[in-house]
Amino acid sequence: MQIRAMTENDIDDVVNVIDTHDDDDAEDARHDFEKFGVSDQWVVEVEGSVVGTSGFRRVPETDGTGWISWTYVDAERCGHGIGRGLFKHVLDQISNDGGNKIFIKVSNYQDEDGEKTYLAATKMYESFGFARVLVSKDFYDSGEDQYIYSKDLRPVDIEDELKAEEKPAIRFVDIFEIGETDGAYSFTWQVINKPLFQQRSFSADDLTVGLKAVKESGGRIVFLTFPCNLPLIHSPLSDAGFKFVGQLTDYYERGVHEMHFVHRLDGI
Amino acid sequence: MIPIRDDNPQIGIPYATYGLIGANVIAWVFLQGAGFGNELEISICQYGLIPSNIVGTQASSHCDGIAGLGYLNVLSSMFMHGGWMHIAGNLLFLWVFGDNVEDAMGSVRFLVFYLLCGFCAAAAQIISEPASGIPMVGASGAIGGVMGGYLVLYPRVKVHILFFIFIFFTTFRVPAFAMLGYWIALQVFEGMISYGSQGGGVAFWAHVGGFLSGALAALLFKDNELLFDHPYHGWSDPVKPASVWDNPDNRQE
Repeated sequence: MQIRAMTENDIDDVVNVIDTHDDDDAEDARHDFEKFGVSDQWVVEVEGSVVGTSGFRRVPETDGTGWISWTYVDAERCGHGIGRGLFKHVLDQISNDGGNKIFIKVSNYQDEDGEKTYLAATKMYESFGFARVLVSKDFYDSGEDQYIYSKDLRPVDIEDELKAEEKPAIRFVDIFEIGETDGAYSFTWQVINKPLFQQRSFSADDLTVGLKAVKESGGRIVFLTFPCNLPLIHSPLSDAGFKFVGQLTDYYERGVHEMHFVHRLDGI
Repeated sequence: MIPIRDDNPQIGIPYATYGLIGANVIAWVFLQGAGFGNELEISICQYGLIPSNIVGTQASSHCDGIAGLGYLNVLSSMFMHGGWMHIAGNLLFLWVFGDNVEDAMGSVRFLVFYLLCGFCAAAAQIISEPASGIPMVGASGAIGGVMGGYLVLYPRVKVHILFFIFIFFTTFRVPAFAMLGYWIALQVFEGMISYGSQGGGVAFWAHVGGFLSGALAALLFKDNELLFDHPYHGWSDPVKPASVWDNPDNRQE
């Protein structure tokens, strides 16, 4: 078994590996590799053939946060420790590279036989010290939830610093369907210079405009995320009917968490 | 009663406050000779506010023969001072109170607020003594406005006061409404007992005019979003905005 960095030439082989589990995931992975490249991604070869892949994606503007990306072993090769070896290699790379917090997204998808497709992977993550920190119900589809696991690579005895609140002028730009989901949408937003005679914060009405646009587009649910140190977001979010899902602790930096919200388009 | 600091946390960088302090210091050094030589007296006449000149009665004074700036003296007088204690005292008050009032408005609004309070202070002094030929200088009218704004915005925050007892001094903390309330009451009292007196002195009515205009203008100039969740704004402790999600009805089922 040999682990090496993935190259562009490996994309077809890696996609084939993923395809042994889910053809939709395979196509999504191809698009992802072609769009964002293959850096920080590794493959495992057995007897000269690519049989597995894993890696991570760095989150910009955070203090060493990353997401595990495209972790698959050929279906016929599962259960022989290949995935564990590859995953440990990736975690070691992240740690050596100064990574502080690692997150993994997993689905609770069940196939037609009722078998949970990602159960073995989930158990492997837990064996490496990952803990489930957030559940977004009906994220991928009705009845298919998203589980987020995390592992903190930093020492746990460092005291949290009190982070200053920020009050930027936030405006929503567009709606988009979240990748790998069926009808789950989100909004893109940006920070602008505060207009002279306007408020900083978006309003509940601004959110409702986006929710209506999602409904007209055929969406069924909206997920939004914001850093926890923005005090102006909570009132309009709750007024517009969003519910709090949970938060990813220390996502941006120690003390600044990513808060997740959901709206099921009830009443829109 | 000298305020030396407050318990009010500074949220942003008070660029306007720092700039105003710097402008006053620069004017003191380069236009007023730091209080030395003839420059001080000449600058007071040239840049100070002489009520009779503004009103048009042109009362004679020791400034006769020294050309002023006309109506611009209303602005220039706000950056002139009569001595080291005068400028030091004014800038100390601006240092203690200005940063937090600027936090409540943003730097640009605060600068406009400050100048507006200075103009109101000048107007108050002119109205109280329209025939006076004595030049008025000092930032205390505008700074009085800052204090009036501070009272309205942060009435319950504690201010540390330096208090002298003969040759000894001590500090103690009082809520802003007590310290500033005492200060403005003192200005009104001093203004009333000095009304009609000839000769120079403290422009108490400028202080009163500036303070009252600041208290009112703060209600217009304050940015409620900047003040949102401020630990000392108003009379009661703020509720943490994120606490809305503690309600089970606001959480994912």
